[in-house]
Amino acid sequence: MASTIGALGAAEAVLKPFATAINRPQPERLEVNIHPDNLLAAVRALVDESWGYLSAIVGLDRPAQLAAEGMSQPESAIDVLYLFCSGAAVVTLRITLSYSQAVIPTISGIAPTAMLYEWELREMFGVEVVGLRVTGHLILADDWPAGVYPLRKSFTGFNQPVAGAEGA
Amino acid sequence: MTADTNKFVIPIGPQHPALKEPANFEFWVDGEIVTGASVRLGYVHRGIEKGAEARTWTQNLYLMERICGICSHVHATAYTLGVEKLAGVEVPPRANAIRQLMAELERIHSHMLWLGVAAHEGGFDTLFMYSWRDRETVMDLLEKISGNKVHYSANLLGGVKFDITPELAAEVHKGLDFLEERNRFYLKVVTTDETFIGRTRDIGTMTTEKAEFLGAIGPTARASGVARDIRVDAPYLTYDQFPVKVMTHTSGDLHGRFIVRIHETFESIRVIREILDHIPQGDLTTRVPRRIPAGEAVSRVEAPRGELLYFIASNGSEKPERVKVRTPSLCNWSTVLSLAIGLKLADMPMLLSGIDPCFSCNDRSIRLKRGQQDPQVWSWEKLRQYGIEYYR
Repeated sequence: MASTIGALGAAEAVLKPFATAINRPQPERLEVNIHPDNLLAAVRALVDESWGYLSAIVGLDRPAQLAAEGMSQPESAIDVLYLFCSGAAVVTLRITLSYSQAVIPTISGIAPTAMLYEWELREMFGVEVVGLRVTGHLILADDWPAGVYPLRKSFTGFNQPVAGAEGA
Repeated sequence: MTADTNKFVIPIGPQHPALKEPANFEFWVDGEIVTGASVRLGYVHRGIEKGAEARTWTQNLYLMERICGICSHVHATAYTLGVEKLAGVEVPPRANAIRQLMAELERIHSHMLWLGVAAHEGGFDTLFMYSWRDRETVMDLLEKISGNKVHYSANLLGGVKFDITPELAAEVHKGLDFLEERNRFYLKVVTTDETFIGRTRDIGTMTTEKAEFLGAIGPTARASGVARDIRVDAPYLTYDQFPVKVMTHTSGDLHGRFIVRIHETFESIRVIREILDHIPQGDLTTRVPRRIPAGEAVSRVEAPRGELLYFIASNGSEKPERVKVRTPSLCNWSTVLSLAIGLKLADMPMLLSGIDPCFSCNDRSIRLKRGQQDPQVWSWEKLRQYGIEYYR
């Protein structure tokens, strides 16, 4: 456990300049909220320190609740979580993107393993990953309709046959 | 991924001779030599992550088990560990020891399955038939413990369903003795058979640096000298009480991947014996609330193919907000695409099977054509009625 605490401490020191919030949800986890503009710098800092490896990128849809009458409607958001692991320590970089600004730069130039995860994120959540050089689908069918992102909460299946989709 | 249009492209798959599971590869070649490669996944994508959001915490346990037919237990274990973490529940040590025991039996069956598949791809069908015949022993042990050969369904949220009685322990010991002897023979075969060595040595060699750069994990990485194993790096269940050694090899080639997996099988046999002899006493289950407190948890386990990561978010209700599964096969694809370059086309089947790819691991959704008149598409009601009639 001592090495885990040490690893988390080292990561915190590296990431502090980019953080808008830092917390420890579990003893082995450090979560750092960062602004999308700081993503590349933060990942670069971890990689330069040889701090662990990128283990996963997680998308998390957070549609806004309908506002009460008279209140302004908050905007729906997607959280993108970059999970880095070193031994038992897990560091999460959390980025919150509004639906209208769902754009992030690719980190695959710094962490090549990110490519497949970013591809999946783009396909499942409709987050645009700038600089990701792959096109087409990774796991969805070739005739999957454009603009339908299955892991967004608003997607609840195809009740109506999809126009133009083969076999529909 | 896009291919270089100026090259001669050989498409392989989704149905193809190398693997019994679907993926599409494009190898572009110059004569016999591969100069580039791309992969297209998703042929068995079943939408399980989406499906999880519509099911209760308990129902999801059964869904997660069905992500993979080879490593069903380890998926359920990663899921339960995450949910238990969110619920703040402490599982009895005996239950955790039984989970570890099942996980290691599963590793033996998975590695022996792989040995057979890889031998088959190398044109060595005798080894394939031997290893699959002997693998029945470990499948039978799993069946004796759980009642099932494939989906043992040992986990519950908060514990396990089955106990290990002294009679069962004796049977497992007996089975392990046989498996150990057989695997010694396999180790001898893969390290001495000239033809086999010719197909594996110095093929698909990956240096330690390259393995780390490409993000390889599991036995594929360990065969390149990357000493990374979640069982040791971040012990879960009772892996601190019954530790395992990380098995590595320095050759980094296909041959090394055979040796590492066979050594891991020995290590699993050793640790199972230790668990059987020193299993903690106590309950098998503890109570887990129906609603899981809001929060997010990450759980990581070492599946037979490498690190398996679950990210679970709860909104405090009876159903999860999000279950993200990052499976090990996905991480190892980039190694294949990179290592293929410069090898002969004929080496591709063995290179592909060398990472022990698992497509249900990767994909997790299936595509159904929704033709109303199609007799091949049955409604749930119709299927259920058919089942009832059939067994009447």
